[in-house]
Amino acid sequence: MKRILISVLSICAIGFAVSQAGAQETFPNRPITVVAPFPPGGVADLTARPVAAAMEKILKNPVIVTNKTGAGGAVGMSFVANSKPDGYTLLMALSSISIIPEADKLFDRKPAYTMDQLVPLALISADPTILVVPTGSPSKSVKDFVADAKKRPGEISYSSSGVYGTLHMAMEMLSHAAGIKLKHIPYGGAGPAITAVLGGHQDTLASGPAAVVAHIKGGKLRPLAGWGAKRIAALPDLPTFKELGYDIEFYIWAGMFAPRGTPEPVLKRLRDSLRQTVQEAAFKDAMAKLDTPIAYLDAPEFQKFWDKDAKMLADAIKRIGKIEEKEQK
Amino acid sequence: MLDTLQNLYVGFSVALSPTVLLYAVVGCVIGTLVGVLPGIGPLAGISLLLPASFGLDPTSAIVLLAGIYYGAMYGGSTTSILMRIPGEAASVMTCIDGYEMTRKGRAGPALAIAAVGSYIAGTVSVVGLMLLAPPLAAFALRFGPPEYTALLLLGLLVLAYMSGGSVLKSLAMAALGLLLGMIGIDTMTGFFRFHYGLVELGDGIGIVPVAVGLFGLSEILLTAGQEKPPEVIKPKLRDLLPSRAEWRDSAWPIARGTFLGFLIGIIPGSAHIISSFVSYAVERRVSKHPERFGHGAIEGVAGPESANNSATSGAFVPMLALGVPSGPIPAVMLAALMVHGMSPGPLLIQQQPALFWGFIASMYVGNVVLLILNLPLVGLFVNILRVPYPLLYPAILVFCVLGVYAVNGSVIDVWIMIVMGGLGYLLRKFDFETAPIVLGVVLAPMLEMSFRQSLAMSSGSYAIFVNRPIAATMLACGLALLLLGLVPFFARGVDWRRAFGLSPSSELEKEDHR
Repeated sequence: MKRILISVLSICAIGFAVSQAGAQETFPNRPITVVAPFPPGGVADLTARPVAAAMEKILKNPVIVTNKTGAGGAVGMSFVANSKPDGYTLLMALSSISIIPEADKLFDRKPAYTMDQLVPLALISADPTILVVPTGSPSKSVKDFVADAKKRPGEISYSSSGVYGTLHMAMEMLSHAAGIKLKHIPYGGAGPAITAVLGGHQDTLASGPAAVVAHIKGGKLRPLAGWGAKRIAALPDLPTFKELGYDIEFYIWAGMFAPRGTPEPVLKRLRDSLRQTVQEAAFKDAMAKLDTPIAYLDAPEFQKFWDKDAKMLADAIKRIGKIEEKEQK
Repeated sequence: MLDTLQNLYVGFSVALSPTVLLYAVVGCVIGTLVGVLPGIGPLAGISLLLPASFGLDPTSAIVLLAGIYYGAMYGGSTTSILMRIPGEAASVMTCIDGYEMTRKGRAGPALAIAAVGSYIAGTVSVVGLMLLAPPLAAFALRFGPPEYTALLLLGLLVLAYMSGGSVLKSLAMAALGLLLGMIGIDTMTGFFRFHYGLVELGDGIGIVPVAVGLFGLSEILLTAGQEKPPEVIKPKLRDLLPSRAEWRDSAWPIARGTFLGFLIGIIPGSAHIISSFVSYAVERRVSKHPERFGHGAIEGVAGPESANNSATSGAFVPMLALGVPSGPIPAVMLAALMVHGMSPGPLLIQQQPALFWGFIASMYVGNVVLLILNLPLVGLFVNILRVPYPLLYPAILVFCVLGVYAVNGSVIDVWIMIVMGGLGYLLRKFDFETAPIVLGVVLAPMLEMSFRQSLAMSSGSYAIFVNRPIAATMLACGLALLLLGLVPFFARGVDWRRAFGLSPSSELEKEDHR
C-alpha cells in the first residue's frame, strides 16, 4: 500500500509542479486551466471538457479542466475573478454568474465577485428551458395551465434546482408574464427537482430539455412550451411562449470568461481559438450527444447578450425579493 | 424468469469480454484505493475519473465507474478497522467496533469479515436489483418530502439505541451534529447562516472533514497523550482468519445488513451512509449481548459493512429503471451515460439491453474480483500495524490532510478537520461518543429540507405528515418505538434501557477509561 500511496503523492506533486512552472513569453507556453465552478457531470463541466479538448488541439498547448465547486458556483467564479489576468485561468460559467452578485446585493452581503471583474470571451451554448407536467396532469396546454393557476392561485406547486437558481428564475418570469401565482418548492439540484415531478409530489417544473427529453419520450412527462425564441430541435412540435403571446425568453447558457485585465493579444488568441473550437467536428459531436445546441457568439455580441440576460435576471430577483417564511402562509 | 436468465447470459457475455472485464478490474482496484485513502470517497473518486471515462464505450465507462463505487465500499473499511479513520463516510460505524477489534489483535478477522460481508451483500443485492428493479423503483418515487421527513425522524429515534454509554450524552452529541448541520445556505430562502464571511461555508460543513477529524485525528491525539506508546501489534498468521464463533456471530448481521442496505439504498439520499448507521443500531438492538458493542463486537463490523455495499446496488435501482438519480454518485454516473449520447430514462432497459444486463453481470463479476483482491490484502494491510507509531501517525496525518483537501480542493475543509479533531479529542476525554455527531451532520440538511418542503407543500399544515399513508406508517412506528421505550420507565422507575439489555456494563466501561 505504501508504494501505491507514494505513487499517488508523486502524481499530485507533478501536477502542482506543472501548474507552477513556465515563463511568460509567447502565449500560451504553459497549461491553461479552465475552471468549471460546478461538480463533474454538470452542464458547466460537460461543456468545458469538449471545449478544452478542442482548444488544446488548436492552441497546441495543454488545456485542463478543474472543478472548483461550492456555494452555488460562487467559489469557482470568485476564484477566476480574483486570479492573475494572464489568460492561463479561464472560467466556464452558466447563467448563474449574473444571479449570484444580484442575490448578494439583495441580502446586503459582501459580494463574492462582481461581474465587471470578468470579461466574456465567447458564448458556447444556450438551451431554452421547457415547461413540463406529469402525463397524468389535467393541463394539456399552456392555456389550460394558466387557466388552472388563475382558478387556484398559489396552489399549483413547482420544483426547482434551488432558490434563486436558474429554474426558479424561469418560472418567476412565467408567473410574472402570465399574471399567475405558483407555489415554489426548491430542491437541492435539477435532478431531485425532476424526480419530484416524476413522483407526482410537485405539479410542474421548468427544465433544460436534455434532462427531460427521455422522460417525455418514455411517456412520463408532457412538455407544454419552451422559453426559447425558436422551437427546439429535439421537440419540433413544442410551441414557444413567444408564439403563445408571452413575451419571455430564458436560456440556460454556458460561456467562457477571463479575468478583467487580461492583455488584449491574449484575449484575441483565446477568442480565435474558441471560434475554431465550435467548428471542430469532435466538439459538435460531443455537444450533439448531450442534446445541447451550440450557440456561438463572439465577445462583443456575447457581451450584449450577457447584459440583456443579466438585466432580466436582476429584475426577476428584485421582484422575488427576500423570501420571508411568513409570506408563504 | 426464463427471459431473465437469457438476458443474464447476454449480460455475462458482455461482462466477460476482455475489455469490459479489464475495466471492471481497473474500477475495483481504483475503488479500493479510493476507499482506503482517508477523505477521498467514492464521489470524489468517480468525479475525478469521469472525464477519463469519456473516451471509452458506454458499457465500459459505466462498469468502470460502478466498480469504483462498490470498490470504495470494500476499501473504506480498511483504515476504519486498522486506524479508526473512516476511509469514506459510510465506514464511520465500522470504526467503532472494527478498531476495538484491532486493539485486541483481531484486525485480520475484522477485515476478512468486512470483505466477506461486502461480497455477500454485493452479490445478493445485485440479484435484488436484477429481479425487482422496475417495481421497486416505482415505489421509491412515492417518497416525497413528507415521507422522507418521517423516515429521517425514524432514523433519529433509533439513535438512542446506538449509544454505548449515556443516552443523554449521545442525544446531546446528536443535537450538536444537527446544529453543525445548520451551517450554510438556507435552502428555502437563500439566506446564509453562520458562515462568518467564508464563502466556502455556504455549502455547509462537509461530512468527510467532520468524520476524519472526529475519528482519525482525535485518535491520533489521544494516543499521543498516553504516557507510554501503545504496543505495536504483531499479527500472527493464524490470527488473520475469523474463528468459528466469529463466523457464526456474523452470519445474521450480514443477512440483515444486506436486506436493510438494499431497501435504504433505493430511497433517494445519502443512502449508503444512513444504511450503515441503521444496520449498526439494529444489530445492537437484536443482540443478546449489546454491551459488547463498542468493545470489539464483530457484529458491529459485519452489519454496517454489508449494509453499505448492499445500498450501492439499491441506489442503482431508480437510476437504471427510471433514469432518476438516487444520490450524488448515481447522478454523476447518469451524466456519464449522457456524454455517450444515451438519455437515461424509463426506456433505458428496453433500448440498451446490452448495457443494462452487461452492467448487472459485471457487478457479479466485480464482487468476485473484489473478494479475490481484498482477502489476500488483509495480510498485507494488517502488517501496516507493525510500523512504529512515531512513523505511522505522522504519515496518517499527512494522508488525512491530503485526502480531505482533495475532495473539494478547499483549505477550509482541512481547517474544519483540524477543529473537529480537537473537538473529538476533548469529547472523548469526557467520554462522549462522536458517532452521533456525524449522523447529525448527515441528517440535518436532509431533515431540514424535507421538513420545510413538506410544510411549503401543505401551506404550513402539519396534517400532511398524517394524510400520506407511507409517512403516517413510519411516524407511527417511530412513536411506538418511543412509547415502548418509555413504558418500563414509568412502570418501574428504573433505567428503561435495562429492559432491553441495553444498560452499559459497568466493568467494561471502566476498562475503556484511559
